[in-house]
Amino acid sequence: MAETKWGMVVDLDKCTGCQSCVVACQSENNIPINTEDIFNQRRAIEWIRIERYWEGEFPNVKARYVPVLCQHCDEAPCEPVCPVLATYHNDQGLNVQVYNRCIGTRFCANNCPYTVRFFNFWEPEWPDSLKNQLNPDVTVRSRGIMEKCTFCIQRIRRVSKNSKSGEKTNERDLNPACTNACATDALVFGNLNDPESKVSKARSKGEKRSYKMLEELGTEPNVIYLKKVEKGNKQENHVH
Amino acid sequence: MIPGDFQLPKRNKKNLIYLVILSIVGLIGATVAITLLSFVLSAWFGLPLDVFGLNEGPDQPIKFPHKTHVEELGLDCTFCHRTVTSEASASVPSVTLCMTCHKSVGDDLEEIEKLRSIYASKGTIDWIRVHRVPDHAHFIHEAHVKHFSEKNNVEPAQTCSICHGNVAEMEKVRQARELKMGDCVDCHKKNDGPTDCTTCHY
Amino acid sequence: MLTTSRRKFLGLLGGTAIGAVVFQACGVPEKELIIQAPFEMPEDLVTGIDNWYATSINTTPATDGVVVRVMEGRAKKIEGNIDHPINQGKHSPRAEATLQSLYNPDRISSPLVRIGPRGSGKWEQISWTDAIARVSEQISNIDDKSSILMANNRLSGHSQMILNNFTTSLGCKNLIYEPIESTNLRSAINHVFNQTQIPDFDIKNSKFLLSFGADFLESWVSPTKYSRDFGHFRQGGDVRGKMIHVSSRYSMTAANADEWIYVNPGTEGLLAMSIAYVIIRRKLGNQANIASLTNNGRFDMSEYSPGKVCNIISPYLTADQIVKIANEFIEHSPSLAIGGDSVGSHTNGFDSLSAIYSLNYLVNNIGKKGGVIYQPKPAMPELINNEIPGSFSEWEKVTTDMREGKINILLTSNIDPVYGLPGSLKVKEILSSENTVPLIVSFSGHMDDTTSMADLILPQGDPLEEWGTNIPDPGPGYQTLGFQQPVVRPFFESKGKHYGNKSFSDSLISISKTMDLDIKINSDSIKDLVKEDSKKLFDLNRGSVRAQNDKEFWVGVLQRGGWWDVKNMFKGKINKPPKFKNLPTPVFNDNAEYDFHLIPFVSNGISDGSGANLPWMQSLPDPISTATWSTWVEINLKDANKLDITEGDIIKITNQSGKSIEAIAYPNPASAPNTVCVPVGQGHTSMGRYAKNRGANVLSILDPSKDDNTGSLAWSATKVQIAKTGDWKKLPQMENELGDFPRDPERKVIKIDGDGEKNEHH
Repeated sequence: MAETKWGMVVDLDKCTGCQSCVVACQSENNIPINTEDIFNQRRAIEWIRIERYWEGEFPNVKARYVPVLCQHCDEAPCEPVCPVLATYHNDQGLNVQVYNRCIGTRFCANNCPYTVRFFNFWEPEWPDSLKNQLNPDVTVRSRGIMEKCTFCIQRIRRVSKNSKSGEKTNERDLNPACTNACATDALVFGNLNDPESKVSKARSKGEKRSYKMLEELGTEPNVIYLKKVEKGNKQENHVH
Repeated sequence: MIPGDFQLPKRNKKNLIYLVILSIVGLIGATVAITLLSFVLSAWFGLPLDVFGLNEGPDQPIKFPHKTHVEELGLDCTFCHRTVTSEASASVPSVTLCMTCHKSVGDDLEEIEKLRSIYASKGTIDWIRVHRVPDHAHFIHEAHVKHFSEKNNVEPAQTCSICHGNVAEMEKVRQARELKMGDCVDCHKKNDGPTDCTTCHY
Repeated sequence: MLTTSRRKFLGLLGGTAIGAVVFQACGVPEKELIIQAPFEMPEDLVTGIDNWYATSINTTPATDGVVVRVMEGRAKKIEGNIDHPINQGKHSPRAEATLQSLYNPDRISSPLVRIGPRGSGKWEQISWTDAIARVSEQISNIDDKSSILMANNRLSGHSQMILNNFTTSLGCKNLIYEPIESTNLRSAINHVFNQTQIPDFDIKNSKFLLSFGADFLESWVSPTKYSRDFGHFRQGGDVRGKMIHVSSRYSMTAANADEWIYVNPGTEGLLAMSIAYVIIRRKLGNQANIASLTNNGRFDMSEYSPGKVCNIISPYLTADQIVKIANEFIEHSPSLAIGGDSVGSHTNGFDSLSAIYSLNYLVNNIGKKGGVIYQPKPAMPELINNEIPGSFSEWEKVTTDMREGKINILLTSNIDPVYGLPGSLKVKEILSSENTVPLIVSFSGHMDDTTSMADLILPQGDPLEEWGTNIPDPGPGYQTLGFQQPVVRPFFESKGKHYGNKSFSDSLISISKTMDLDIKINSDSIKDLVKEDSKKLFDLNRGSVRAQNDKEFWVGVLQRGGWWDVKNMFKGKINKPPKFKNLPTPVFNDNAEYDFHLIPFVSNGISDGSGANLPWMQSLPDPISTATWSTWVEINLKDANKLDITEGDIIKITNQSGKSIEAIAYPNPASAPNTVCVPVGQGHTSMGRYAKNRGANVLSILDPSKDDNTGSLAWSATKVQIAKTGDWKKLPQMENELGDFPRDPERKVIKIDGDGEKNEHH
């Protein structure tokens, strides 16, 4: 078993749908501004997004929120279809996208059941002053390139360079931008192979509620969702 | 004439002269083009050809002589490039660091006066970058310095020249090694470094 | 994806412009790597490394303690300050977008003086010395200083102190403006708890939360703190907390409740009274408190019996349900009741909120874990603003004064009344003539609608460039003082001769110096003042930062982003609850033809409009409609059917005085019949490329009706008529972005029924 396997636990009972994660991700990863035109072209890019589902009818209506990001599947459907091997699985369980290899066939996006891969239909544009904010650790993707959630690999690299000196605790402090911003701690990130990591603890704590999105497809995602709990009229249960 | 009937044009002296002129012009053109192309290709695939001062390195706003500081004064690389052993970047020092010595050292030198006036105006020195990898490649100094200093059992400062050449002898810093992807990957293979794409590309 | 180094060599080789264009790197341009705006710390001047600085910034609506990643003098990323008691390492989307406010392409870069007619947008740059001199001269020329009006946003900390000293010494009027007024909330809290600061609602430790209209997870009072608590409330403790949300509009907070109870607009207070009736009738709850609430049983509550009121509250609500809520409220201790937002936006807002907050006395949770925790007196009491913001009626009076020429100078800072006050006050019309208000000075850093009407602009900097202190309101229940420090050097400072910003406080200090006005401050700048006053904190010798001397202490508070003392909590006596009052029915301008309730709401993106110039906020999908970059109308599905409205139809919303706006229809499965909900924040006539002329301003069509107790604007009391215009526009929203939505149709949910059995559905 590999030493490191990055994964995430998403507790739907805690997620409020506030989208802090969305903005944190846009800021960290140099995601182009989604203008109104881009929304109208259905080409908006959000590496992590909050999906909202309606259930029931007024007045017994429910809106439910599910954060959706790249599931970093063990059996990723996007990987075998890439003709230039621009997307593949690395030894840390990440589904990675190599921008300088990508030729923009969009086969991978077609094959992704979670629609978490985004194509740059346009050259990203910022007014000059806003360019000051761009993160130098992350490549700005040009037109014709596929992009997606990386689990903030630039942060993983920063930590792993230090952790070579033997400090595993460093790794346990590591958080991608979305997880750091999540006010309710609905998102938990870490090494799934380390039983002491936050993510493993959150996973075992929520064992009874856990499921994987579209797991019947056999994609073996590394993002584990914990089901939402819905209270009836009486509150008796102790739910962990 | 029957349609399609092909007849060679008549040769005459005038045509021949044209032909000669044309071929000479063509030959010169081709030579120039090939020369230019070789310049372009050498720059593209490696370093620019070392002629006409093309590979000389840029003129810096202050003519900082590495030679004086390293070879003659014996300063360690890590004295100025402080974060090289701990961070991704080798860090260009702040003016404050320069001034720790140059407050008193080097009076009457034009370049030092430049430095002092920048310091007085709380300005910065806009150094021109010499070594630059593309935006989609991320190089972490710390890991490389550590690897080579442990492997060769030397001080961190003695590993710099592997990629940067002997900067200590340079009056003007220039790029000494290609630093293209092939260069990187070759070295990684030789030294059992990781060759996973996302080691550098993210 | 080609490289810059190659581009450079090609340039050398005479590859010329073509080469440079063809091989333009897609990344950060090379010049971006040259230091442009380093702050004074020497570490910032080092290229290639990043530093994290702690500061505290006041973003709408709450103060966030943040750390900012600064690299080569530029702010790159904002994250929550893990030490800060309010947000504890987390931050709101709006706090992150402060980066886009700092680097906004439409920021005002230097002092400006108007050269064309008012509102024409023609300006000339002047120097700071000139600008300060002009303002000082104009103020000195006015004999009657009470004809000068200073209008600003709610401040705290040293900037509040400076402002307060300035206005008092000058003798001018001072008025706080809030687009979404907290007047009713603050008045009700003052009335019920006898507290000037909003108490800390301990959602974290409560087990049953009854929320009336307060969208505390997205926009109400202190969303980051409440979200933090909410995570714990849900899955952190032994027992999962239960939450019931009561409101007329289905918001994100309602979506997170276990039960959402629809109530007719303005009847939230009635439900609270009915819950109180059940509890009192059954002799449950704290009897001592009940005795003072009901004036020893003399108050007649019979009007509020569930059977009588349930139909008034909502056609879908039964008396049994009210009884059940009341029982749960008593049983699941500690329980907590909060109210705000749309509850306070009716003509009975103050009384409704008072009734709601009084529920806390029934379960006697004041000062207890999981209940209402009062704030202690701040360590430096002079830094807090105890005033209740200028209510709508005060603003009505002020506009009348302006029209009558009684205001000679209007000074504004960071507020936008031209945009936010109801259209019926005709503020823009009044201000566009020089005969009414001869001089308008704005201290705002962004060209908002009010600033664009100014004669003189003295732009303040971004929160990331300035010094200051913040007392979070509401605080965490113990003494807290956030320190704000510049993390980058002011952006425009080095751009040219006249360029640069000056903080509002520093402008006031400079003006008072030029005028020889004694504002009782010995320092030349807010920085010196904050530094000087940090010694007072040091002398207390307690709290989160301990040091050997005051210098060390100063560095310590800046490093930690503030000072707090967890041990210093409220120690005073808890008052007896006020007596119940009869609840007035909400007043609507009833007219059969205007049959829709207009409910404006604040979305968590651009909030009250102050975030409209930030592209991240504009493109943030609204949690309910997932809409972006526009103004939309949420309308009930059946109503939409009846009127043949489908998504994207442009709807005209007309109020009774004939004013109208147009917005895009969004038939909403959770909208109640006969209500239309419209987000606040768009429809600016100015404010830069991202905000200008986008969408419609719902605030402009509000009726000027108000709560007579407090004079607060009843912003949900307007009734309107809606009509299709026949035009159609695609609603830019996230929901439509991706094909085959929904992707996780089962959305596995664990349902727990009444007997506590767990049923897994999937």
